[in-house]
Amino acid sequence: MNATTKKAFRDLWRSKAQVIAVAVTIMLGVMIYIATAGAFQNLSASYDQTYERLHFADLTATGGDLDAVAQDALDAGASAAITRTQVDPPMLIEDTKLVGRVIGMPTDAQPAVNQVDVIDGDYFDEGATDQILLETHAADTFGVGPGDTLQIFSTTGWVDVTVQGVVDSPEYLWPARSRQEILSDPNSFAVAFAPEESVQGWFEIPANQTQVLLPDTADARVASEKREPWETDTGIAVAQAMTDAGASALQSQADQPSNATLSEDLQGFDQMSVAFPALFLIAAGVASWVLLTRRILQETPVIGTMMAAGARRGRVLRHYVLQGLLMGGVGALLGVALGVPANAAITSAYTGFIGVPDTVVRNYPWMLVIGLVFGVVVGVLGALGPAVSASRIAPAQAMRPASDAKAPGGWSRWVARQRWLPVSGRMALRDVVRSKRRTLATMLGTVLALVLVLTSVGMMTSILAAITTQFEDIELEDASVVAQSEAGVGDALADVDGVERVEATTLGQVTLKGPDGTYQTTLTGFEPDTQMHGFIGTDGTAVTLPDDGVLAGQFLSEEIGIAAGDTITITSDAGQNEVTVVGFLDEPIGTSVYATNDTARSLLPNEGTESYALAFTAESTTETARDQIRDTVTQLEGVVAYQDVRAIVGQLNQYLGLFWAFIGIMIVMGTVLALAVMYVTMSVNVVERTGELATLRAAGAPLRKVAGAVATENLVATVLGIPFGLAIGAWSAGAFLASFNDDLFTLELQWGWWTLPAAALGVLLAAAVSQWPAARAIRRVDIARVVRERAA
Amino acid sequence: MTATTTARGVHLTGLTKVFGEGDAAVHALKGVDLEISSGEFVVVIGPSGSGKTTLCNIIGGIETATSGTVMVAGEDISRTKPAKLSDFRRDHVGFIFQFFNLIPTLTARENVEMIVEMTGRGDKAQVPAHLEAVGLGDKLDSFPAQLSGGQQQRVAVARALATDPDILLADEPTGALDLPTGRQILELLQELNRQGKTIIIVTHNLSVGQIADRVITVVDGQIKSIESNDSPAAAADVTW
Ligand SMILES: Nc1ncnc2c1ncn2[C@@H]1O[C@H](COP(=O)(O)OP(=O)(O)OP(=O)(O)O)[C@@H](O)[C@H]1O
Ligand SMILES: [Mg+2]
Repeated sequence: MNATTKKAFRDLWRSKAQVIAVAVTIMLGVMIYIATAGAFQNLSASYDQTYERLHFADLTATGGDLDAVAQDALDAGASAAITRTQVDPPMLIEDTKLVGRVIGMPTDAQPAVNQVDVIDGDYFDEGATDQILLETHAADTFGVGPGDTLQIFSTTGWVDVTVQGVVDSPEYLWPARSRQEILSDPNSFAVAFAPEESVQGWFEIPANQTQVLLPDTADARVASEKREPWETDTGIAVAQAMTDAGASALQSQADQPSNATLSEDLQGFDQMSVAFPALFLIAAGVASWVLLTRRILQETPVIGTMMAAGARRGRVLRHYVLQGLLMGGVGALLGVALGVPANAAITSAYTGFIGVPDTVVRNYPWMLVIGLVFGVVVGVLGALGPAVSASRIAPAQAMRPASDAKAPGGWSRWVARQRWLPVSGRMALRDVVRSKRRTLATMLGTVLALVLVLTSVGMMTSILAAITTQFEDIELEDASVVAQSEAGVGDALADVDGVERVEATTLGQVTLKGPDGTYQTTLTGFEPDTQMHGFIGTDGTAVTLPDDGVLAGQFLSEEIGIAAGDTITITSDAGQNEVTVVGFLDEPIGTSVYATNDTARSLLPNEGTESYALAFTAESTTETARDQIRDTVTQLEGVVAYQDVRAIVGQLNQYLGLFWAFIGIMIVMGTVLALAVMYVTMSVNVVERTGELATLRAAGAPLRKVAGAVATENLVATVLGIPFGLAIGAWSAGAFLASFNDDLFTLELQWGWWTLPAAALGVLLAAAVSQWPAARAIRRVDIARVVRERAA
Repeated sequence: MTATTTARGVHLTGLTKVFGEGDAAVHALKGVDLEISSGEFVVVIGPSGSGKTTLCNIIGGIETATSGTVMVAGEDISRTKPAKLSDFRRDHVGFIFQFFNLIPTLTARENVEMIVEMTGRGDKAQVPAHLEAVGLGDKLDSFPAQLSGGQQQRVAVARALATDPDILLADEPTGALDLPTGRQILELLQELNRQGKTIIIVTHNLSVGQIADRVITVVDGQIKSIESNDSPAAAADVTW
């Protein structure tokens, strides 16, 4: 090892604590990147593996001559095609009546497309007629397992069926009935796979779905982002053949409700898995910059001497870059080492949480390389600036002791006149302006700390606020009910114990068409003076339902290109109508359309059902009371569906599970990082001023006062950084939130009045805590050594 | 030399200082016995590495002895903890360094005030007078960058005086200065000595010895000789 390398190691050793802080920030950045980006890849891979293993359909179609559609698909290159029957009948499970879904399957063997994983019990007995396989979500919700019975409402009345097994299905990894109902009360939906023959018999209908498997789906899925996965040459040919054979409503795997929901869930994660580590690495870069800049400042005479002795600029440059390289390298290596198990942990936690049958944990070499490279690059970049300035040091500077030779400016002279301030206060004020680099570093540290904390906290509070707004200001009903019209349950509902008010509503699926596109959603009709739904305009004020026309979620304005007052085409099973969009609503969750009951009825088909919104009495908010109401209501003659709004919130939180976990980790890590950055800048500020401090200490100034003076200066710089940190942090939180926005979430940055003050206070506190090691550093200043170094 | 003046002066017996341990141990001072009376003007000379600075630092309480006793200004600081040494320095000694060590962001006046503020000893109102005394009455509000080397060193002297110390310790106070400026500093120190301060100057510069009451020569960690000077020269007459 040559002398310069030895010096590099020794220098790093001399400021171990700061070096460790820098290495740890780099480590965290690299680790989070590898863990989250890796987990994102692994989660996609886990889905793919399950989909491939269970032959998840690439295309699903209804209509046409199903056998012909299937045959033509096979002829066009599909690797498998099946037909089956799917019906959504009322079901009775453990005293709860709901609208479930029954799907036909062969009893002798798993179908060629959309197989299931039997996780409890068995697959059908061959030739069975009254057995079902219950999808796992319903089994969990109702606590039903193999051997239990439940009832399915057939055209001839209730039939008893026995649960033969509990299964995972690729189509219901996320239990969504349709693209519009991805967040629903789990008690309101259940999927049962039943013998195909029985299903056709119970409902007296022929098969109504064709499902097709394309070759090499997984590859196609990875192949492109923009193209739909099935849009390979074969895929397009198959889809064309099916359409030609009379198939309608072709649905691709990407649009399949469960899959679409889960990929949206992962999408936000994808962005965060890059952006958050980037924040960490920036912070690490700043910390290493601060550290090395200080070192170079301190070593100016030494560098000058080396240069005077004829050292090449390149050598000096290399020497300091080497230190950054070492810090970055070690941090990055540790980050990779920790990122690998963290990736496995996150992947398994998620697949376990969502219930993805397969868990693929892989490490991606390119990702490890990227992590390593970025870690090292950050260390080197942080070192480069200081190293360049070191290599520019004029040899003559070796002759003068490190000193601030700048003439004082107007600010310094002004502060000098503020004689009412204690000298230490004046020094702090002046240093803040004169030592711009030091102030800048401290401010930067403050800003980064605030950005990291505010971004994670802001996302959390905004989503919490969105949920609160959605379920406390907008969806005012406690439950919704669908019943057969002829049953006339309105009065009976009002009599149910715990129900305070009942309002008639109208519900239906519609497709909206504007100049820029179409969008499918639900249309809900309310009484004109409804107390079940709060309509909040985009300007935040309350609006009322128009007599004529509809109100729409604001996402729609962009999506299909319309403005308030525009007329759009609204299509339902009742046919096409023109309707005016009177205004847009600010609803954080979901994008729906609303009208009065009268308007809604004129736009929707009469399906022989009517719906109601229920509000509960104040006493009926407990879990038991709500379960009681659910059981009572669902057992009323004619009631076909019941949704408890509170249960939807639970479902939403499940959807956000990954997000919550991520935010939690980020808040913790962000705080650690904020502390590390503050610590480095603060303690460097002390080391940088060793000379001054030693002089004061030599004169007998007590530690407390010297430390106090330094702390004052550090805190002044911190305070200066706070407004910037708050502004940039708020912006960053907003940007992260915006990346989440789609038709499901329209999030705006929201936090309590306390968030910004609390964040500012927290950072000040971190800065104050960092003064403690700083004070220790001051205590350890070897006065004699400093004096000797300076005094020959 | 009366007992009382010695008690308030410096009293060293069997003083040793070892840096490091084992093979790396450096014996910087190897048994120094020395008495310096209150009000004396002493110059310590010797070759480089002989232990002059170490001696000066131990007397001033910024370094501690390995063995032996150190009595300074009536206090035994041989075994004093570093935290307590801080009080000792505040009450009894003033340091003047070769490179001034002024705080660049403070004016001359503030550099001196800072010490008063930080130590709680001395009187802020007296600060202009101290600077006046070192001939800087018109430079109170100048920053170090606006002062010459000699002026900066005079600020350092004023700073050392601010806590009204019994003993002024100066390690190469003229090292960074040219002859006339260095001479001005020596004149200043001589004047302070006349006013009753004990002055200890560490230097390579043999000429400085001419103005001292005694010249102590340190060689290889030991006192090689002590020469008394019955009629010290005036600083203005010294040359080198
Ligand atoms: N902190 C230390 N660690 C180890 N050895 C030290 C330390 N400080 C001083 N020394 C050694 O103690 C001896 C005396 O040093 P000192 O600084 O007192 O010499 P000096 O007489 O002041 O020299 P100069 O005239 O060059 O300033 C030297 O050999 C030096 O190497
Ligand atoms: Mg010396």
